[in-house]
Amino acid sequence: MSNITKKVSWSSRGDELGPVGEGTPLLNGSEQPRHSRQFSEGGSLFQIDRLSTVDLEEEISAEEESARGQPKEIPHNSKLLSLKYESLDYDNSENQLFLEEERRMSFTGFRCLEISRWLICGLIGVLTGLIACFIDIVVEKVARYKYEAIKQNIERFTEVGGLSISLILWAVLNFSFVMVGSILVAFFEPVAAGSGIPQIKCYLNGVKIPRVVRLKTLVIKVCGVICSVIGGLAVGKEGPMIHSGAVVAAGVSQGRSTTLKKDLMIFEYFRRDTEKRDFVSAGAAAGVSAAFGAPVGGVLFSLEEGASFWNQMLTWRIFFASMISTFTLNFFLSISHNNTGDLSNPGLINFGRFESGVLGALFNFLNYWLTIFRIRYVHRPCLQVMEAMLVAAVTASVSFTMIYFSNDCQPLDSEHAEEYPLQLFCADGEYNSMATTFFNTPEKSVRSLFHNQPGTYNPLTLGLFTITYFFLACWTYGLAVSAGVFIPSLLIGAAWGRLCGIWLIWADPGKYALIGAAAQLGGIVRMTLSLTVILVEATGNVTYGLPIMLVLLTAKIVGDYFQEGLYDIHIKLQSVPFLHWEAPATSHWLTTREVMSSPVTCLNRIEKVGTIVDVLSNTSTNHNGFPVVVQPSKLCGLILRSQLIVLLKHKVFVELAGSRLTRRKLQLKDFRDAYPRFPPIQSIHVSQDERECLMDLTEFMNPTPYTVTQETSLPRVFKLFRALGLRHLVVIDDANRVVGLVTRKDLARYHLGKHGLEELHLAQT
Amino acid sequence: MSLRGNCLIFVFFVINICAFVNCDEGTSLDSGDQVRPDSPGLPRVPSSLLVDSFVPLSLMSSFPEDLEISNHCLELLSIFSQRYSDYVKCLVPAARPVRVCTKCYSGYGSLLNAYMNISSDQMGPSNESCRDSLMRSDRLMLVYVLFSNMQDLWEKSNCDFCITEKFQGVNNETTHFMKNLNQTLSCFEKYQQGNHTELCKNCKSSYKGLNELYSSMEKTLCIDVEDAMNMTRILWSKNFNCSMPRGETVAVIAVSSFMLFLPIIFYLSSFLHSEQKKRKLIHPKRMKSYSSLMNIQDKRS
Repeated sequence: MSNITKKVSWSSRGDELGPVGEGTPLLNGSEQPRHSRQFSEGGSLFQIDRLSTVDLEEEISAEEESARGQPKEIPHNSKLLSLKYESLDYDNSENQLFLEEERRMSFTGFRCLEISRWLICGLIGVLTGLIACFIDIVVEKVARYKYEAIKQNIERFTEVGGLSISLILWAVLNFSFVMVGSILVAFFEPVAAGSGIPQIKCYLNGVKIPRVVRLKTLVIKVCGVICSVIGGLAVGKEGPMIHSGAVVAAGVSQGRSTTLKKDLMIFEYFRRDTEKRDFVSAGAAAGVSAAFGAPVGGVLFSLEEGASFWNQMLTWRIFFASMISTFTLNFFLSISHNNTGDLSNPGLINFGRFESGVLGALFNFLNYWLTIFRIRYVHRPCLQVMEAMLVAAVTASVSFTMIYFSNDCQPLDSEHAEEYPLQLFCADGEYNSMATTFFNTPEKSVRSLFHNQPGTYNPLTLGLFTITYFFLACWTYGLAVSAGVFIPSLLIGAAWGRLCGIWLIWADPGKYALIGAAAQLGGIVRMTLSLTVILVEATGNVTYGLPIMLVLLTAKIVGDYFQEGLYDIHIKLQSVPFLHWEAPATSHWLTTREVMSSPVTCLNRIEKVGTIVDVLSNTSTNHNGFPVVVQPSKLCGLILRSQLIVLLKHKVFVELAGSRLTRRKLQLKDFRDAYPRFPPIQSIHVSQDERECLMDLTEFMNPTPYTVTQETSLPRVFKLFRALGLRHLVVIDDANRVVGLVTRKDLARYHLGKHGLEELHLAQT
Repeated sequence: MSLRGNCLIFVFFVINICAFVNCDEGTSLDSGDQVRPDSPGLPRVPSSLLVDSFVPLSLMSSFPEDLEISNHCLELLSIFSQRYSDYVKCLVPAARPVRVCTKCYSGYGSLLNAYMNISSDQMGPSNESCRDSLMRSDRLMLVYVLFSNMQDLWEKSNCDFCITEKFQGVNNETTHFMKNLNQTLSCFEKYQQGNHTELCKNCKSSYKGLNELYSSMEKTLCIDVEDAMNMTRILWSKNFNCSMPRGETVAVIAVSSFMLFLPIIFYLSSFLHSEQKKRKLIHPKRMKSYSSLMNIQDKRS
């Protein structure tokens, strides 16, 4: 039976290659059984039996076809899922090779593995700390040069006139720094743009974002962040630190770099997605702890935002990595300069929490539309660079204008020495207080807002600053530069918090600045647990815990009412198939039958090489997992594309096995060596003779893939998928025959919208 | 080694002091007879003089003579009192405008000297140390507290930075500054009447010179210089209104509005000219409806 089908399919291939769409007859009454092997899948059941290899994009379900006859194109929006993103293989393939290796491994071998895990975590911590230290020192040094130069220029021109020249100088300096950073990002590594937290979140969720954990990305990220902070954009260097930590972790744990083509031949056991993921979550934690000096906050950040998969031992290791990272950073920074700016203030509760949530939501809302516009219209690298440069120039000129027209003068104080006091039109011996906020790196401004004595800023200055900075920060986030949103939102929050504090005369405005900062940050990124701990740790005062917690709670509740968190928005706009904690609330009526993809491309346990090559090289159906079946269509295993490619590369054919008995048997090591960049199928040459050979997949397939029946409800499948980190879930019927396959994209497309359950569209991006 | 060693030495030292004090008391009580023959011969005038002026005699009670303070120490105390009051008399008028360093440095020098005499270890004629009897006999420790107040004041005003070593005189830098300051102030005085624009124009060079001199001086300056400069600056910028005028508003506004205009052009042009990025929708393969499901089952059976 299946032989006939095969023949039909192959013969029909040529016919079907032409453009589809014009009046394909409804093949409902086709006589062919659907359990045959399908080399490509039709759009819906009506096309099941076409068995063609036509482009999927061209394929439309029959109804739409008749209605339109054209592939549907829509402008980019947030309700899409991109085909670009693959899933990671968090589920271990327990094939015979694996079992064999485990048998061979001695007790000490396992001990060594455990020890090397700890070792790697320590290394991750140290390296992350060093990177943070490097960024910090470089930014400080170069920013000093820049601000000193501008300051001198301004001082000179205040007297003789020609301040517009200083303005242009400032703009050009910003402009050029940002241009360098933006060119690096836009042309060399677009994935290094932004804070990197959404990307890491996706990675830990199980989505493979291309190139996100490469060494090149790390280098571009670090340089880009330095450039954009020095370039005076409304950005911080904290978010990128988290990304950097994750890249370091992914690199160190593999013991090699594919970018540098260096293989240290160590840590080979960790060359698979499961192990790598654990290390990446440790790296993210180390990044947070280096960025904020908050090791516990780092661990909780990994827990809350990142690691979807968790156990106690891992927590302990991650904590270790965070501690090491904080320690390294502190150690080297204290060597570099002998003062540590600690944020320590006793606590108080404030009002104005409500506004924070609303402000955060407004920020996210504005940024949402801006990002959509950017994705739709500003998608060419040179345009992105231009945009970034424009933002830099505008930031400089707005800051300058604000400083120029500010009448708020404060006496110079030797205790709170401002780093770059600008006198401008103030009386001698006084400085422009607007300039302390704008004419500085954002971190320093936050610090001065927290710590300067009451009366340092007057309300008008703060109000103007808040508004301006709000729009600047909102505009800046999402540019093609590496930059974080933590510090800008802290800054906005601190400014209006201090404003509240000033109106409430009786309190220390510094405390309100902290509370405001917490509220604003919470309103924008919507993290609760980790943010509370991060802020508590950063202030070094546990008594602050409750006020901060209340504020964050309120900010999140209020904010969620209007708009999602910024990171979630960006994940959505990138069309990433992201799995949240839970399935959408009202989805119990959906069964797997409606969710799954069907029909499935299956392989026989002993399969012809030609068939495998054809399946793999079919560009339209870029499948990654293939259920392995025995006749008739009974499920006996699951094999991945990557495994097949390695097999083809090593030519593990049944015929050859007989002729080359001396040849070494394929081991798990061969699969690991190819990880994570498996060669594309096009690069593997298979001769015409070899196409006729057979391949025995028994040894290599995962013999016990997870399966569900067709009647399982969506939340159940979701839970299974999410908790186990699955990539493919085979749907079988009562006779153990493959009916369908559930993948990440099938589950991620359901989400709860304003009108109940909505379905996202798959799209090519 | 060093830290532990220091600790040890310190502990040792403390023990020693305790022992020393205890034994001192012991001897003075026990061997009082031996000391007594010397004391009655000496006049007791200073003590009664000092006490009389503050406390009515009736409240005075006298101790056995061996507990009283030696004349040598009383003498030191009276010197200290004299110099202390001199210094304070000098300080208070110098409070505003602040001249505490340049006017009273000699007073501080002699006060310091007197205090050193009291607190030094050296033995007086009767082979006793005044440090213990004057400074450590009670919990008030008046002499010590009084002096440390003055010392704090001295340190807070950074006076060491404009006085030469050993309190010989005002150092060169400060003198130079004060000379310039006087020039500037006299210039101010000269043009004070009438229009201040005249003043701003004429005194500008000397004011600027003073300003530059000030900023070229060391980072920490004594309060006299600092205050003088502050006052001059306030005079200059607040009273006479000679600060920079905000002269180029138009140019700045023009440049920055040009900058603000650029992004608008950019976004408009990219909106109009750049082709919108379209996404091709892909239709996944699904078992669409129940009917199709039935279909399958039919086929299967």
